[in-house]
Amino acid sequence: MAMTSSERLRLIKTAVILGVVFIGIQFIRPELKNPPVTADLQAPPEVKQILKTSCYSCHSNETKLPWFDEVAPAYWIATSDVKEARKHLNFSEIGKLRVAQQKGLLFEAISNIQTGAMPLPSYRRVHPGSRVTLAQMAVLKSWLNPPAPTGAANTSAADAGYERWIQASSVVPDVHPSPNGIEFMPDYRNWKVISCTDRFDNHTMREILGNDIAVKAIAENHINPWPDGTAFAKVAWRQLPDGKGIIRTGAFIQVEFMIRDSDKYASTKGWGWARWRGADLVPYGKDAAFTSECINCHAPVRNSDYVYTLPIGGQQ
Amino acid sequence: MRAQRSYLLGTVFSLSILSILGCSNPYPPVVATLNKSAALPGNLPSNPLQDRVITSWIDKQHGTMSTLFGNDIAVQYARTSQQQDYPIGSTLSLVTWTQQEDPRWFGARIPAKVKSVEYVIVKAGADHRTSYTYESYEGTPLKQTLEQQAPTPTPQAQYLISQRAAVMP
Repeated sequence: MAMTSSERLRLIKTAVILGVVFIGIQFIRPELKNPPVTADLQAPPEVKQILKTSCYSCHSNETKLPWFDEVAPAYWIATSDVKEARKHLNFSEIGKLRVAQQKGLLFEAISNIQTGAMPLPSYRRVHPGSRVTLAQMAVLKSWLNPPAPTGAANTSAADAGYERWIQASSVVPDVHPSPNGIEFMPDYRNWKVISCTDRFDNHTMREILGNDIAVKAIAENHINPWPDGTAFAKVAWRQLPDGKGIIRTGAFIQVEFMIRDSDKYASTKGWGWARWRGADLVPYGKDAAFTSECINCHAPVRNSDYVYTLPIGGQQ
Repeated sequence: MRAQRSYLLGTVFSLSILSILGCSNPYPPVVATLNKSAALPGNLPSNPLQDRVITSWIDKQHGTMSTLFGNDIAVQYARTSQQQDYPIGSTLSLVTWTQQEDPRWFGARIPAKVKSVEYVIVKAGADHRTSYTYESYEGTPLKQTLEQQAPTPTPQAQYLISQRAAVMP
């Protein structure tokens, strides 16, 4: 059916308006600067090459947008993503951080690539060259993989911590709530073991414990989502190598909680997050906004309800 | 970095042609799943996972990780005493797993397959004196490989008894 002349006119008008709007929005350009590179990552060239190709476009001060990212509205999204990315991890300034902090960020980066969280899936789709291949991943991993500790650790701090604790273990500690209002749950010690981890990246070891609701959910394999009332405690200790190949739990570092209540904690992904550090159980976080750290770190496992741990089967 | 905004949508708006370049990711997506390989198959006198944790350790040479559990009496004792004189009624159990790389966190190892389960049971003997039973289970499914009972703990039982509790304030 042929278009009438008025229909044709309306179509042309719409196209012209859209064209003008498209050209117009090109003039709205939030500034995206490349500040000087002050403390670039120190890494072998083959590692650097992979990071430059896959990460530096957003996570450095050497952002080079391809031409199609220069076109609004893609440009707006790109600038906003780059600013956000630099806040979290900036390879051009990473050298300013303590070595342990740098390592933590690099391990997190590799885990994020491994879980498919990075580069952002939406980014990968339009920048296929940013994908990290399995061969490249092997290069990154062997670079970061630390040698196993040799020699016996000094046990004095762990011994002193143990002495203090065993003397006071029947005393109920006076513990302040977390800044988001969550109260410490001393009964975590009596929860059941769900799994354990050997964190060789930061020389800690952990036991992950769950309350009865969590254990029942595992037994019934109803873990995505976890039922309301689920609570996990992750207890972390320093690794204490004895110099003969055995690593024991050393000084207590912290206990962290995830508590499931989809209504009460709706604004923090349905989980209440809390952490108490050190033998004195000092609540972690300046204010309630500390939970954004928890959620950011757990975001790569959002498809498993923000839980990293694969619970050991056969809990009944 | 993890903004929820769809990068794709914006780009499609200006340059829909590029979206067809989408490629598959070499890394499988994270899904909720149980670690079934680390379960404890076989007929055991009791399920250590039903008990509470006393401590844990890692054996670098053998690539294994172990968790020492205790029943109520044993845990209560381990967490309040520096001695190695577990009262009658105590059951300690040690589960040793081989390790696997954590598929979700590069930098961590988690339990893979169960290598062995060991028990130390402190009982009152016929003469009302304390006796120590040591049992070990190995294989898939786990089968008993050893059972010893004596008035004093065997060296391996003594090794489990002598582990001090991990600090849990």
